[in-house]
Amino acid sequence: MRRVEHIMGFPISLLIEDEGTTAEAAEPAFDWLRQVDARFSPFRADSEVSRLDRGELAPHELSPDLAEVLDLCEEYRVATGGAFDVRLPGRGLDPCAMVKGWAVQRAADLLTERGARRLCLNAGGDVAVTGGPWRVGVRHPERADRLCAVLEVGEGAVATSARYERGDHILDGRTGRPATGLLSLTVVAASLTEADATATAAFAMGVEGVEWAASREGCEVFAVSADGKVHRTPGLPVATTT
Amino acid sequence: MNRAIPALILSAAALVPVWRYAPPTATTSTATAEPAPSASTSTSGDSTVVSGPTIDTEKGPVQVQATFKGEKITAVKMLQQPNHPQTEAAVPKLIEETLEAQSADIDTVSGATITSGAYRKSLQAVLDAKV
Repeated sequence: MRRVEHIMGFPISLLIEDEGTTAEAAEPAFDWLRQVDARFSPFRADSEVSRLDRGELAPHELSPDLAEVLDLCEEYRVATGGAFDVRLPGRGLDPCAMVKGWAVQRAADLLTERGARRLCLNAGGDVAVTGGPWRVGVRHPERADRLCAVLEVGEGAVATSARYERGDHILDGRTGRPATGLLSLTVVAASLTEADATATAAFAMGVEGVEWAASREGCEVFAVSADGKVHRTPGLPVATTT
Repeated sequence: MNRAIPALILSAAALVPVWRYAPPTATTSTATAEPAPSASTSTSGDSTVVSGPTIDTEKGPVQVQATFKGEKITAVKMLQQPNHPQTEAAVPKLIEETLEAQSADIDTVSGATITSGAYRKSLQAVLDAKV
């Protein structure tokens, strides 16, 4: 069963390879992601995030979900010395970088709780899988039609942050300026919450983020620096060639 | 030779940030900090060995020695360095490789494919079009 929808502004591709799975089986996941978009988008004036940003919600009025996301944001802000920051000066609260990985992981979990076993969920290039092995290609930073690595992941997540699209959209919270130094950085971790937040935060840190991400427990890293060199951890699950 | 000494001071300063990344655990100080003289120079044959001054960093003293052949640096040696590994054992040493383009049999693609325009042109869109 294969299904693609555009939610939260990016394409979400779901593949479930269990016998007899129908397209309806995907509905809980897509439904959850539509709810997340409505509740957590800073681009919707009536979202919980926008209301919090305008001071219309007291801390005790936050939903447990948003409280959890904001706690995760704070954890990464501290761990990166401020490079990962969802409250940049002069900008509104924007937890998108954390919400995406967290919400997509939960979407995958909703499906496995309902019996899905061999599943691959790809949200704008961030991937959560179960029941592998799955072969996950890493897009070449300079050639959209090519890969620069192929990973094999049984259970877990792969997330990539890069500058090749949408220009300099990742800002270093320590300087407020676009992150430079890396072309792309990919993290493999047990959950997409961890993989996506670590990839985004490390990318914002620039070259020093590669080592930082590699030092995080359970994270394997593949990075391409601006000089075209590849840096990877020895434990990166590189697929054998077929 | 006067030109070489500021250059050495610069190289020592450039090395200092290397230790800043190391976690602040295990800051055992060691007895490397002999009262070091300022820069010194010795010449043998066509090579000149220059030792820079000792620079105190937050992780300990750093002193660099360079060997010159004419204007070119042929060797650099750390005379003093903080007894502090650049990376803790818990950090896996990163492997450096060259960037290669490849295509292969894959199930999905990880990459920053966040706009629909980019998605339409992506390998993932090709995979999604498979029945």
